[in-house]
Amino acid sequence: MNTKDIIIRRIILLAIVLLAWETLPRLGVINPLFIPPLSGVITALRELAGNGEMATHAAISLQRAALGFAAGAVLGLPLGLVLGGWFPRLQTALEPLMELFAQANPLILFHVIILFLGIGEAAKTFIIGWLCLWPVTFATITGVRTADPTLLKAARSLGLGRAGLFVRVTLPAAAPSIVTGLRLAAGYAFIMLIAAEMMGASSGLGWLVIQAQESYHITRIFAGAFVITLLAITADWLLKLLGGRFLSRVESGADDYVRMQGSAGKI
Amino acid sequence: MSNLAENIIPDQEPKIVIRNIGRTFHIKKSPAGPHDFVALQEISLEVQKGEFVALVGPSGCGKSTLLDILAGLAKPNSGAVFIDGKQVTGPALDRGIVLQGYALFPWRTVRQNVEFGLEIKKVAKGERREISTRFIDLVGLKGFEDRFPHELSGGMKQRVAIARALAYDPEVLLMDEPFAAVDAQTRETLQDELLRIWEETRKTIIFVTHSIEEAVFLADRVAVLTANPGTVREIVPIDLPRPRQNSDIRSSPEFGWTRHKIWELLQNQPPADHRAGEQRPVADAISPSAAL
Repeated sequence: MNTKDIIIRRIILLAIVLLAWETLPRLGVINPLFIPPLSGVITALRELAGNGEMATHAAISLQRAALGFAAGAVLGLPLGLVLGGWFPRLQTALEPLMELFAQANPLILFHVIILFLGIGEAAKTFIIGWLCLWPVTFATITGVRTADPTLLKAARSLGLGRAGLFVRVTLPAAAPSIVTGLRLAAGYAFIMLIAAEMMGASSGLGWLVIQAQESYHITRIFAGAFVITLLAITADWLLKLLGGRFLSRVESGADDYVRMQGSAGKI
Repeated sequence: MSNLAENIIPDQEPKIVIRNIGRTFHIKKSPAGPHDFVALQEISLEVQKGEFVALVGPSGCGKSTLLDILAGLAKPNSGAVFIDGKQVTGPALDRGIVLQGYALFPWRTVRQNVEFGLEIKKVAKGERREISTRFIDLVGLKGFEDRFPHELSGGMKQRVAIARALAYDPEVLLMDEPFAAVDAQTRETLQDELLRIWEETRKTIIFVTHSIEEAVFLADRVAVLTANPGTVREIVPIDLPRPRQNSDIRSSPEFGWTRHKIWELLQNQPPADHRAGEQRPVADAISPSAAL
């Protein structure tokens, strides 16, 4: 099976799902009040896009998600590098505590944070940043800790010092894991963003969806969900592209596998 | 018979002097309770400039530990290593190391891997490129400069590792079971290639292996090590003609005889006072292929 076949199969499957979305509510198999047909959602999307509402809310949401994600990454990366690379014992000691922080339910935590920071932007940035911090930190620690010891040995035999080893070997060896952590964090950022906007905001995509729900604009709920998904997928795709620099060079990468399968099919 | 060892002036200062090396590991957790494990005991060996010496022995005889000490990556508890009369205190660019697991940087191309040591040595970019081209040619990987390690076979990866170790021009090459992970046919090819490269570059090579055949085929002298504790049992000069690569020397009677002699050395136990209690035939610990 070559790449072209895979793409064709994917398009066919997607078309079937979209077609079912359109026809099943129309035929009354699914209640159109709960799940409106695709065409209705598209109409709502065009309406929201036309009056500029969608762009305004998407922009503010994107800004919140990006700010929180950036805060989490900017703190998580050095934290992971320092704990994983320089203080492995401290890291081991801190692990249960960090695990607890990472697992603490962010929706409950958000209410506590609101008590301190109020209901404004600071609280939203904080909770998104908090949620992004842990996957980045853990992935960085794992990446640093699992750097191939034979690579370090080979580099050390050249008389490379600690700092040199870190920059030339440990960091590039950890890069694929770090990129995975960043992608996870970006996904979390969008989930938390919507939750935060639903709990306390007067703008943003989460607020738009809640508003639509309260006024029974079901098509608008789907339109909002569509834009949120699109933003999240785009963010992931961008990070993947950034990480592709490292990931494609690692052994048995999934993308390489697809390419190999493709060229084998042509022979 | 021409042998390199004979061409060396006897009173010349040896390139490498290993003097009374001892290395003990303290084992904290074991069924027998905490105890000391003597990995190396009173190891002494002198290696001449340009000589090819193989260290052969069963697993657990400390041959890899010895190589780490030579590389400066581990410290002995007693004794010292001298290269050109200077004591080894840590790793440096006068020694190149080739490991069994290739240890190529997966994010670097073949060329970038070969240039790694040169970057550390702060060689200018143009010169780096010239040197890496030369050594990639030397190991027969012309045309593969821009490939990544995961695109290469095991044998090709090991060629890259050899080129990388040679590129920054160390005088001594330390090789730790470099061909153990490749198939038998590739292994023989790599052995031929290594001898050709050695003759072209005139490096001093210390080569660790558990294969007697490999040691006999490659080396001027074979140091036979035994385990528990790791000691040099005997140093066997290999009086086989050179060049040995691309020849049928493996099937010659002399080759067979030398191989058998080393096999016997490994099988027969050293005097009993050295190894109280643990009477284990050393040959059992050697891989079956080594005794073939």
